[in-house]
Amino acid sequence: MSQPRNVLLLIGSPRGERSNSHAIGKFLVNKLEEKGLVSEEAFVTRSVNTREGTERLLKSVENADVIILATPLYVDSFPSPTIKALELIHEHRKAVLPTKSQLLVTIINSGFPEKEHMDIAVKIIRNFAQASNFKWGGGIRVGWGMALNSEPLNEKKGMTRKLTAGLSLASVNLSEGQPMSEEAEKLASTLFVPLFVAKTMTRLFGNRNWNNLAKENNANGKMYDRPYEFNLQGEDTQSVPRGKSETQNKASLQENKEYWRKI
Amino acid sequence: MKAVIFNGAKEGDLTIKAIEKDVASQLTKEKWEVEPIELRNMHISNCVGCFGCWVKTPGTCVIDDEGQETTRKAIQSDLLVWLTPVTFGGYSSELKKALDRIIPILLPYFQSYHGQIHHKLRYKKYPKILVIGVQEPGDDYEETFMSLVGRNMLNFRPPVYAASVFQRDKNPESIPAFVEEQLKKVEVIS
Repeated sequence: MSQPRNVLLLIGSPRGERSNSHAIGKFLVNKLEEKGLVSEEAFVTRSVNTREGTERLLKSVENADVIILATPLYVDSFPSPTIKALELIHEHRKAVLPTKSQLLVTIINSGFPEKEHMDIAVKIIRNFAQASNFKWGGGIRVGWGMALNSEPLNEKKGMTRKLTAGLSLASVNLSEGQPMSEEAEKLASTLFVPLFVAKTMTRLFGNRNWNNLAKENNANGKMYDRPYEFNLQGEDTQSVPRGKSETQNKASLQENKEYWRKI
Repeated sequence: MKAVIFNGAKEGDLTIKAIEKDVASQLTKEKWEVEPIELRNMHISNCVGCFGCWVKTPGTCVIDDEGQETTRKAIQSDLLVWLTPVTFGGYSSELKKALDRIIPILLPYFQSYHGQIHHKLRYKKYPKILVIGVQEPGDDYEETFMSLVGRNMLNFRPPVYAASVFQRDKNPESIPAFVEEQLKKVEVIS
């Protein structure tokens, strides 16, 4: 593969710019820009639901020398729109054969501390790369994503030191048109604390964090609700959630809609 | 007993349609009530990763569309069947849009399960799960697909589950025997 000239950062997170996927991907892209590559960003969720968006996305993929797919882990693989993007890109490349060698890498992040949760997701992207005539550039698995808080990565912070060091190493390989080295993949996928510490902290502070978030939404007394459970008579209790009248239910649905609009 | 089929096929997928029909027919003979759901025709928005289903309206997604219905039907069933074209070793985007929205059936809280961190279960009873993937000729993604199902089951923890891959170029006449074998694996027919 000749020296790459441009890089496409493909964000799989529906949270867009406010996501860990963007924060991590952006750090790697900045490093590649320092090495002379020109970058472009595309957001999968905004692209795949319209014809124009899809065409733009396909064009961006077609033009890129290096593609970085940064995505969160959803139910052991990717958010549905990311899968949709893979399906569309694959179909397009069957119809319009690629004219140059292109490198595809992925960065997957998850709230779980163990990187093994992301192994299958990396395999799926690797399968996609092979089936769609991309050169496989490797996969980074970032565990314990909640610690990153979607903020820009800082090389000097202890929490992101290994991740940023791994991404910096990866940028050297990618800027030369080479897959990420094993060392880069391994370093970027390593937690900043020993795994047993991360697991214990997840159970203690992670659970406390959920309670705090629920408190902010006045939902702390409802955390264990089972709105779709059948009652003892075998009747569906869903239509009117427990303890709520029909009117209250309508009001809370309206409230949900407003919440949804805000985010 | 109630079975819900999540059909994650694209328009015109005759193999998956034939499997869906056969699952429904064999279960109906055994007096099951069966509800097939063609996911591509449902208005299910994408999960936006807001965690509202855990910390704002616990147990219910904040997006008020048919994704709430599919989740309710899934948890209230005795058998949940997922049908999908094997997509690079994973599920189709159609099946996945329903699965992404199903997470309120779990609690946000973490626990150690099989040596790894997973979410705790919200409900006392979960349906059995049967997953059938249809693979294109020449593709070799069965191992990835089965591993993905295995990981999903660590999260959803059904009382019984089974998964299998059906090759699309196989004789369609073999579908009834294939389906029967799968339904036996999840112990819904004998």
